[in-house]
Order: sequence, then structure tokens, then C-alpha cells
Amino acid sequence: MSTITYLLLQIVMIILLAPLVNGVIGKIKALTQKRTGAPVLQMYFDLHKLMQKSAVVSDVSSWIFRVTPYIVFGTAVVAAMLVPVSVRILPDSIPGDMIMLFYILALGRFFICLAALDTGSAFGGMGSSREVMISSLIEPSVIVVIFTLGLISKSTSVFIIMETMAQRGSSFIGPVTILLFLAMLMILIAETSRIPIDDPATHLELTMVHEAMILEYSGRHLALMEFGAVIKQMMLMTLMVNIFLPLESFVTVAGFPGVALSLLIYLGKMLVLTVIIALIEVNTVKVRFFSIPNLAALSFILAFLGFMQYFVLGRS
Amino acid sequence: MGLVLWIAPLIAVALSQFAKKARTLHAISIGVSLVMLVLAGYCTHAVMVAGELTYTIFNGLFLIDSLSIIILDIVTVIYFLTSIYAIGYLQEEVRHGKISSEKLRLYYMLMYVFLFAMVVALTVSNIGIIWVAIEATTLASAFLVGFQNDHNSLEAAWKYIIICSVGIAITLVGIIFLHLSSVDVIQSGDALKWNVLLSEAKHLDEPVLRFAFIFILIGFGTKAGLAPMHTWLPDAHSQAPSPISALLSGVLLNSAMYAIIRCLTIVNKNSGDSQFAGRLMIGFGLLSVLTAAIFILSQKDYKRLLAYSSIEHMGIIALAMGLFTPLSIFAGLLHMMNHSLTKSMLFLASGNILQKYNAREISKIQGLLKTLPITGTVFLLGLLAISGTPPFSIFGSEVNVFISVFNADQAGLGIVLILLLAIIFAGIAATLFRVFFGSADAGQVQPGETNLPGALAICVLLIAIVVTGLYLPDGLKDLFIAARQIVLGG
Amino acid sequence: MEHYLDLLSVLMLLSAIMLVSHKRIRSYIRTFRLQAILIAVIAGFMGFESLMTEGSIDILVICVIIIALKVVIIPMLLHKTFANVEDVVEKDFYLNIPILILMSCVLVVFSYFTLSGISGLASGHVNLQVVNAFSVILIGFFFMISRKKAIGQIIGYLVMENGIFVTAIFSTHGMPFIVDIGIFIDMITAVLIMGVMVVQINEKFDSININNLRNLRG
Repeated sequence: MSTITYLLLQIVMIILLAPLVNGVIGKIKALTQKRTGAPVLQMYFDLHKLMQKSAVVSDVSSWIFRVTPYIVFGTAVVAAMLVPVSVRILPDSIPGDMIMLFYILALGRFFICLAALDTGSAFGGMGSSREVMISSLIEPSVIVVIFTLGLISKSTSVFIIMETMAQRGSSFIGPVTILLFLAMLMILIAETSRIPIDDPATHLELTMVHEAMILEYSGRHLALMEFGAVIKQMMLMTLMVNIFLPLESFVTVAGFPGVALSLLIYLGKMLVLTVIIALIEVNTVKVRFFSIPNLAALSFILAFLGFMQYFVLGRS
Repeated sequence: MGLVLWIAPLIAVALSQFAKKARTLHAISIGVSLVMLVLAGYCTHAVMVAGELTYTIFNGLFLIDSLSIIILDIVTVIYFLTSIYAIGYLQEEVRHGKISSEKLRLYYMLMYVFLFAMVVALTVSNIGIIWVAIEATTLASAFLVGFQNDHNSLEAAWKYIIICSVGIAITLVGIIFLHLSSVDVIQSGDALKWNVLLSEAKHLDEPVLRFAFIFILIGFGTKAGLAPMHTWLPDAHSQAPSPISALLSGVLLNSAMYAIIRCLTIVNKNSGDSQFAGRLMIGFGLLSVLTAAIFILSQKDYKRLLAYSSIEHMGIIALAMGLFTPLSIFAGLLHMMNHSLTKSMLFLASGNILQKYNAREISKIQGLLKTLPITGTVFLLGLLAISGTPPFSIFGSEVNVFISVFNADQAGLGIVLILLLAIIFAGIAATLFRVFFGSADAGQVQPGETNLPGALAICVLLIAIVVTGLYLPDGLKDLFIAARQIVLGG
Repeated sequence: MEHYLDLLSVLMLLSAIMLVSHKRIRSYIRTFRLQAILIAVIAGFMGFESLMTEGSIDILVICVIIIALKVVIIPMLLHKTFANVEDVVEKDFYLNIPILILMSCVLVVFSYFTLSGISGLASGHVNLQVVNAFSVILIGFFFMISRKKAIGQIIGYLVMENGIFVTAIFSTHGMPFIVDIGIFIDMITAVLIMGVMVVQINEKFDSININNLRNLRG
């Protein structure tokens, strides 16, 4: 029973609400630029429009090109199922842990990179090579963050990590967690292809990474790819807010009101993180591609220092 | 009365601000140095009688004992003779148009600040204030080193201020840890006072204290010219105007070494023997002598050669202090005095040579004994003295250092040391002895001493090092023995 | 309370690493200012604590002096000095930024292992704070030696002084008051003198690249 509740909740909160994040970010950007901008629900309309259109597939591409959108969407949905939106509603048993989470996403990324090469266009190959470089640079940081969180919680299961961090109280204000939060923020930006790593709204050859890889897609394939990308973004954001900003101490009632309150708090936290990402997007520029190793090194150092601070503090 | 030591240089700064003519500035300089000399004599007498001199003002900040009074006396004597020399030197520089009268005033004012900082470093009981004062000497002398304002002196001044400031910052880390080691034992009112630290030395926290000593040694060692932190020294001492070089080499290096000795005393009393700290100092000392030996062999600039010789002698002092036997400590303290007198004499003489020949390279100087008879003789004898030839005083203290090394069963160390000193002697002789002979080109340089007060000053120094090389007056000897007692732990 | 001090020490370490990752003179001075603000906050915290427990306002006075000197005056001085100096956009360091950042991380690990060997330092919170502060000293030193322009050396020296001050505050609750005042006077004088010298170097050598100062060798 609780498994079905859990799955329904995850679908509603993460999958159905995912395109809203892009809408909110777009709205904030527009407001800071003193224009009205697209409505917040714009991405729903876009996805709906794309599903109506027919998909154009190149003759020279192989089965990888046709299969990839489904794989990307599938891995994103599976990953979304692994990250609870609230520690109060859980299935009977959650399979997998953080490591499996990141490598499911890696599976999706693998197929995107192959599919981009598949059509033989110059943009695709360029996008693939850049994407592979960025993800390999950001990976050490991911590993160190996962392992530090695992050390703190004595397990790499997502649920146990969230629960441990919730029990630690005001854990956001602490030397270890603030470093891990900043490292995770950079990981988030790198994985979701946002400024300052990659501009999601550009179609200039010089600046495309993720956009270059999905350039050849159209119709329902494009809809699935874009939907997969926002689900992935939503999932990573959920991971971040629930681990680093649990705020469970505000939920004092048990039972149904408690769950509702916890979900409301979750929505509030997501809004805060969305605003942070939007502000970063507004205030910084996309960095030169060869400056991305600088950011990746900074992220790695933050994660490593978080690990070291934990170590020095005597595992407290 | 002793507090006038602090007030006199400050009054001199104020007076120099209002002086209108160059003669007034020179007169103020001689006046202040005479006052400091007299005051130092008074303090020496007080210390010889009572063992230490202290006032209760500022919570007992002013404190002189036998160790500090020796260094203070060296400072005031050399400062006095240097001021006499500086009158002639600066008049000659003004005559050649290299220094304007505004710059003259700046020179003297910076000198007084420099003197003030150095005297404060030697007469306070708080190690933190010693730190502040030694950093202040770096800052005061930075512009003095760069006084000529050409490419090389600017480079030397920049290197000097950066390397010495970083070294001093490292010392501050050491002092913080020194404070940490004493925090449980000493009340906050007495914090960082070396007399209190010495009496409570056994109760200080040993690992923290050792950690602190490493930083203090490296930091103050930078200022004292120990290798490998010596890299600023050849540049700064060679590019500075000669009276400043004499002061930096003869006096400032001693003050930094004095600070190291204070901390060495505390660490050795804490650990009971001299294993840890002594080995470090012997290591740095040996490295300094080795570095000096290597670089002296290839020098082309005579003032730079003298600077490397300073590094060598500071290495010998560090080695003697590190050995920590009664004889070696006595020899080390004596060596501090002898080196100061000899080195300042050499630098002042080299200033005369620079003014006469207008060249820094050894190859451009010849026929020195004919062009500058007094300076040339003094320079020649001084080079013999600095290499350790009898009957000059450096020979005496160096021989005592060797005896103490061999007495302490460190034959290997002794043999290496003798070898290095022989190499240095050979290097100095081979490089510099050619400047004295040969014919001076007529028309290029006019023979004759141009700096008569300077010639007088260096002759006084020459007589001093001959006299102390042959005979150490009883009062002085007692002072050294009392200082040795303090270093050994009181 | 200890929690906030831990956090502040970590943020200070972070600001030191950020400093290493910057490329432009303006960014150096701005990051130094940020670090000075963090230090002032630390001093303020410790000052209030000492005011509550012992009733002494020494550390609070020092906090005010830090705000006046390091947050306001010194960055202003540095900006003015370097406005008059030529600003050639050239690569200011020999190694690239990721390696510099990794080396700072190595320095943090090194300082941890060095300081953990000393049994006199309490373990846990004080150890963490002192390790962070000591690492800032080492990173400031590293910054000094990794930059080619003269401004790098001045900022490195100032960051070292920041680190030293914080080490003192964390391990011994501050040096004696008169010593602290002396340290500040020395530091501001040093910055003034270094600033004047940089202007002179710029006039004589037409650049502030330290590698031009190589005449005196051997």
C-alpha cells in the first residue's frame, strides 16, 4: 500500500512538477531583465506541442538514435523514483543507493552522447566530446560528496542519508555540510547544463553543449529528451534540498497533517533552490570552455575539504 | 634614566624635521649618538652592579640583563662611529650631487626610527614587542636600502622587504605557539615575558614549544641571515649606502640573533638538554657557512662579498650557540661583538672605496694602497681579520669555537668547519687582494682620503679589534660570563 | 557558538582558496576584503564572548580596528596604488588554476597532519579551527610564490597576516593587547611601504612583473 502511495507521490511531485522549475527560472530571468517573459507553465505547452508533431529521423542514423529518447526518459524516471520527496512516505523497500542513482544518470548520458554522434552532424560530435569532458571532470567531486555523506550516515542509501541529516538538526549551518552543499551546487549546475557551465537557451556553436546533442531531435523524441532533462534536474534538486536543508524539526504533528506539512515545506525548499539557481544564472556568465576545469577543481576541493573537515572534527 | 634610551631617538626625529641646514642635521646626529653612548654606559654600569636593570613602568616592560646590555653596547658604539663616518660620507655624496638636502633629512629621520626600533627590541621583556620592534627595523630600513633609487637598489629593497616581512610573519606564528605553550602556566599579565618564561620553562608544554621554536628559528633566522633564508642579504647589504650597510650587518643581524638566543634558552631549559634546538641551530649554522663558502668563490662585487662573509659569521655564531657548552656560548657571544666591529669597519672602508672609484666591481679597483692610504690599509687588515687571522679578535673567538666543537666530541663537524673557513679565506684572498696593488691610473682617480671623519672612525675600529684580540678587559669578561650564565638557564 | 566559529573558519579557508583561483588584480583585492570581513566577524564573536565571560573589551577593540584597517583602508590603498600601475592582461602564474587549487588542498592536508601531531592542541573543535587558520597562512604563502606580479606578493603577505591573526585568536584567544596593536601598526606600515615601492618599480621597470627584477644574482 505504502509503495503505491510512494510511487504516486513521486510521480506527482517530481515528474509532473518538473517543467515548472524551468518556468519559474525563466520568469525570474525575465523579471530581472524588466520584461514580462513567458508564462510559468510555458514548458507544459511546449511539451504538448512537441508531442503533436511528427518526429523526423535521419536515414543515416542507426537504432541508437531512435532508442535514446526512451532510454533517457526512462532513466530519468527511474532515478526520480529513487529519491524520496519526504522521509515520511517511503515504500517497503527502496532498491539501490546514491551510487546507483548517479550511474543510472550516467547510462542516460552515455546514450545521449552516442546518439549525438549517430547522425554524423558536426554539432553532435562537438556536443558529445564537450559533454563527456565536463562529466568526467565533475565526477571526482560527485564521488567524494557521496562518500562523505555515506561516512556521515554510515550507509549510501538515499533514504538513510536523508534521515540521518534530518536527525542532525540545524545541519545546514555547519562546516562540513556547507562545503558539501556548495560542492553539490556546482555538481547540480554541471549535470543540468546551466550557466555558468553551459547555456540552456543558446544555439550558438561556440556555446552549446547539451543543446548540441539534442539538436537533431524533433517531435515526440525531442519532447521525451527535454522532459527527461527537467526530470533529472528536479530529481537532483530534490536530493539537494532534502539532504542539506531537511527542516524536519518544523513538522511536529504526525499522521496525515504531518505529511501534508512536510510536502509543503518541500515545495517551499524547492522554490528557494530554484530562486538560487535563477539568481546564479542571472548574475554570472557562461565561462570559457577551458575555464570549466577551474570550476570542477573548485568543486572537488570543496567536497574534499568537506570530507577532511568531517575527518578532523573526529567524526562528530 | 634608562628610559631616555627610548626617548632620545624620537626627540632626534622631531628635531630633524625642523632643522634647516645640513650642518644642523649632522650635529643632531652626533649629539644623539653621543647621548645614546653615554646612556648605554650608564646602563652597563647599572647591570654590572645589580645584574639587571628594570623599571616598573608599563608593567615591567623595560628590562635589561647582561645579555642584552652586551648587544646594546655594541649597537651604540657602532652607531656612534657610523654617525661620525656618515658626516663625511654624506657631505661627499651631496657634493657630487647624488643626494639632495631633502633626502638627507629623510636619511637621518629613517635612521633615528631604525635606531629606536632596534633599541626597543633590545630593552623590552615582552617577546611580542621584540617582534614588533624587529619588524619595525625592517620597515624603517627598507627605504634606506633603496636610497640610491636606481634599478638595482630598488630590486634589493623590494626583495629585502618582502623576504624579511614573510620571515617575520613566520616568526609571529612561532610566537603564537610559544604563547599557547605558556597559557596554562603564566597569567595573562605576564604573558610572553622572557624572564617569566625562563623561570617557568620546565612547566611549559613541550611539543608546542618545540613547534614554536622551529618557526621562531626560521623566522628570526631570515632576519639574521642564516641560510637558506639569506637570499635578501647580499642584495640589501651591497646596494644600501655604506653607513647603512655597516649598521645592517654589524648591528641588525646581532639583534635578530639575540632574539633567537632568548628563545633557545627557554627551549633548552624546558627540555633539559640541547638535543632538539641545538641540532637545528648547528644545521642552519653549517649550511650558512657552506653557502657563504660557495658563493664567495665567485664574487665580482666587493660589498656583496662582505655580505656573504656576514652570512658566514652568523652561521658560526648559530653553530656555537647550538653547541650549547659553556665555552661555545662564551665564544659565540664574543664572536658577535668581534664580528660587528670588524664587519662595520670593513663596510665603512668599502664606502670610501665606492665613493672614490665610483665602481662596485672588484675588477675596476686597483692600486688601492696608493689612492686611499688609510682606507686601503684598514681594508687590507680588515680582510685579514674577517678571515680569522691573528692578532685580530675574530681569530680568538673562532679558535674558541673550534676548541669547544672538538671538546664536545664533534670532530667531524670541526673538520668540516675548518675546511670551509679555509676555503673562505682562500676565496677572499684570491678575489680581493689584487685591488690593493697595481698602479692607479692617473687622471681617473685622484689619490687622497676624501672622508676624514670616516677615516678616523675606521681607525678607531681597527684599534678596537686589535686590542680585544689581544686582551679582554676584566669588566667586559665578567659581563660575558654573566651573559653566558643567563643563556645556560640562569 | 563553537558551531558558528567552525563555520566561519571554514568560510575563511574557502575565501583563501577562492583567492588562489582568481586571475585579476581587482578580484584579488575584493576577495581579500571578503576575507577581512570574515575575520572581523570572528573577532567580533570572540570579543562578545570575552566581554560576557571576563568583561574585557580588548578583542572588541581589535575587531573595530580590523574593520577600519583591513576592510576599508587597505583595499582602498591597494586600489589606488594599482590604478596608477600598468594593467597588462597577461597570465599571472606559471601553473594553471586547477593545479594551484589542488596544491592549496595539499597544503590543508599537510597542515592537518602537522598540527595533529602536536598533543598540546585540544582535539575536536579547536583543532579544526586552528587547522583551518594555519592552512590559510600556508595558502597565503603559496599565493605569494605563485604569482608573477608584485600585487600577488603584497596580497599574499596580507593573507598570511590574516591567517596568523585568526590562528592567534582561535588557539589562545588573542595575543596581549599591546602586541596586537603593534602588529597592526607594522602591517599597515608594511603595506604603505610596499605600495610606494610598487609605484617606484613601475616607474623604473615599466611593469610590475617581478621577473624583471633579476639583475642581482649570485
